[in-house]
Amino acid sequence: MTTTTAPAFQDTPLVIGGRTFRSRLLVGTGKYKDNATMVRALEASGADVVTVAVRRISLDRTKEEGILFHLDPSRFFLLANTAGCYSAEDAMRYARLAREAGFNEFIKLEVIGDQKTLLPDVAGLLEAARTLVKEGFTVMAYTNDDLVTALRLEEAGCAAVMPLASPIGSGLGLLNPYTIRTIKARLTVPVIVDAGVGTASDACVTMEQGVDGLLMNTALAEARDPVAMAHAMRLATEAGRAAYLAGRMARREVALPSSPTTGMLS
Amino acid sequence: MIAQLPRLHAVTDDRVAARGGLVERAAEMASVAGPRLAVHLRTRALTGAEQLGLARSLGAALAVHGSWLVVNDRVDVARAVGARAVALGRAGLSARDARRVAPEIPVARSVHDAAEARAAEGENADFLIAGAIFETASHPGGPVAGPALIEVAAAGGLQVIAIGGLTPANTPAALDAGAWGVAGIRALWDAADPAEAARAFLAVLPAAASIAVTVNGESRAMAEGITLSGLLEQLGLDPRAVVVEHNRHIVRRDGLAQVTLAGGDVVELVHFVGGG
Repeated sequence: MTTTTAPAFQDTPLVIGGRTFRSRLLVGTGKYKDNATMVRALEASGADVVTVAVRRISLDRTKEEGILFHLDPSRFFLLANTAGCYSAEDAMRYARLAREAGFNEFIKLEVIGDQKTLLPDVAGLLEAARTLVKEGFTVMAYTNDDLVTALRLEEAGCAAVMPLASPIGSGLGLLNPYTIRTIKARLTVPVIVDAGVGTASDACVTMEQGVDGLLMNTALAEARDPVAMAHAMRLATEAGRAAYLAGRMARREVALPSSPTTGMLS
Repeated sequence: MIAQLPRLHAVTDDRVAARGGLVERAAEMASVAGPRLAVHLRTRALTGAEQLGLARSLGAALAVHGSWLVVNDRVDVARAVGARAVALGRAGLSARDARRVAPEIPVARSVHDAAEARAAEGENADFLIAGAIFETASHPGGPVAGPALIEVAAAGGLQVIAIGGLTPANTPAALDAGAWGVAGIRALWDAADPAEAARAFLAVLPAAASIAVTVNGESRAMAEGITLSGLLEQLGLDPRAVVVEHNRHIVRRDGLAQVTLAGGDVVELVHFVGGG
């Protein structure tokens, strides 16, 4: 079985903050059992955009290689995140440090409000988004599936809004297709569902809601075979997108036969 | 008073510069002396472009260890390469004119007697280079002023670097007379092992104060005068592999050698790791 790099159906490219990406699947680089597996999984996913985190460099093991030793920045678009930030001030600090690394001005903005659920602190998120947008960042904001918050983030100038399917790392899949569909229907900027995708069907169902893309990490890193799962996710993302563009049939609560009701034998 | 003014100054002359291997010898001394060393580029024979090229190479090699580059006379070269100070000779520009060109660079004046010392103070020089204190191979038979010149020069309150025949053996006498530090030409450049020669001087010069700096959450003792560039070098970190935050301000890579650490500073060194 072969897969082509371009989907075999008509689709417009994914454009975020003026940049065009071929793949609608964005992938995280955390939690893989080793770097070799991570690299193979990223390749298999077909992703253009990969997320990275900003952390202190280890001073005791100065020979430890940073992730950039394994990721080719000319092959992947590095999207730095503000993971682990519980305040707007922290998130802004990390965003500025990330930008100083010199790759691009994009930031996946996370301001977390609760340690157990990793749900966002909406007030902090909006404050950080507004400030970072003013400082020239291209802000992609991780958020909950509340429409009003999504609208405020768009008003604040975010280049993309990223509602969660379910909590980060939970693998629970898309818990509320209605809220995600509503957000997609009302926003002008791209909607990328981030967090909670667990397996291929989750990815497919989420893309069928019409969203512009998906971001996942744990689904790959914690699969028994991350490379195989990355391949599955690539197919699922394309399948979900194709199904959405195809325009699904209406649901009905009674049956309607698929074969003719005339010409039956007497 | 420049708190971080190095105690040991290695002054070049045209003979030393022409011999080749200048940058390598300077790097050897800098690797043992760090912020306690200043290397003076002093030449009459080189063209402006040649001086600029040499100053740039020297400066880069020294900055890695936190050592100073001092450019003699050519204020324009000093400014172009970001030298830590400019040293003006008797026949050179006045301190005032030098500051017109490079207001941000400290100015040293060479002084040979009391009158010149007072004149330099009048011009608001930042520190003095007083000599010749002892008999020197560079100017055999020339006037020797003795440690009294150091006392006279230091009387006005400016720091004095003693030059002319200084050795580790007579350095204590220069310090007793009020010198802040000493300068050498042949004693350092002509030594079989310049690093060892530098070490011998440093052993009799006041030690750099130690400052406590927090790096990635841990308190570390560092030599006073160390720059962010020197800190990375000491930690074995490639400046291209880290982003540096100093007291909550991000410092760009090209500015690391210009930031000197002070006690109580907080430094964060970060990089990209895997994450979702």
